[in-house]
Amino acid sequence: MAAAASCPLTTHVLNSADGVPASRLALTLHRLDSDLLLWNLLTVGTTNEDGRCPGLVSRDAFSPGMYKLRFETGSYWQSRGQTSFYPYVEVVFTITDPEQRFHVPLLLSRFSYSTYRGS
Amino acid sequence: MSAHRLQQLKAHILSGSKSAEMAGPSSPLTTHVLNTAMGVPGSNMAISLYRLDPSTAVWSLITTGTTNEDGRCPGLISREMFTSAVYKMHFETAQYWQSMGETSFYPYVEIVFTIDDPSQKFHVPLLLSRFSYSTYRGS
Repeated sequence: MAAAASCPLTTHVLNSADGVPASRLALTLHRLDSDLLLWNLLTVGTTNEDGRCPGLVSRDAFSPGMYKLRFETGSYWQSRGQTSFYPYVEVVFTITDPEQRFHVPLLLSRFSYSTYRGS
Repeated sequence: MSAHRLQQLKAHILSGSKSAEMAGPSSPLTTHVLNTAMGVPGSNMAISLYRLDPSTAVWSLITTGTTNEDGRCPGLISREMFTSAVYKMHFETAQYWQSMGETSFYPYVEIVFTIDDPSQKFHVPLLLSRFSYSTYRGS
């Protein structure tokens, strides 16, 4: 867990409709291979009870580039017996200075979502 | 030639139904881009609408357009073309900020949504700053 504590990229998924962390939500992190214009899968994870997913990427692997966090939101609502407007949410962002810390949270309901760049 | 410019040319060359201006006044699907950082509509932003073909898992381009001065893009799709499916709206957000001389965290924003009942009206707005965005299902 020491590696997770200094993870340069973190996320936090909140279920804003129910006022709880969105736990057991599957997500994947990808980086764009700019030569091939393909997305390379870096990490597969599931949010914990606090809606977080430690250890997304190590400092060594965190190079400048375009990244994508894909949240399996449709499956999450389905596991709670509910439908949702969005089958999944993908947030694509650009990292120019990987020395910084980046927090990419997702505030989610069945019919809305928001994200912001945190630290 | 940029990918966006290629898409614009394709939309003009193909039949008129692909052009955002000619699909009629009462599109069942609308959007509205708001620049929440500056408190203004997100005007002159390039957007495109895609529909997912479930048998091939391929996205088909339905419309390309540019938001007007009010941040809207009328005529996204006609009632006839608006079938039950998964759709994707693509917003060229970094290009928008770049035209104002600013960088942004997100190179683009894509919102993927499911239409089960195309007889309804759906509003898919984007509230945007350089470092945040949000969307909701409106009507």
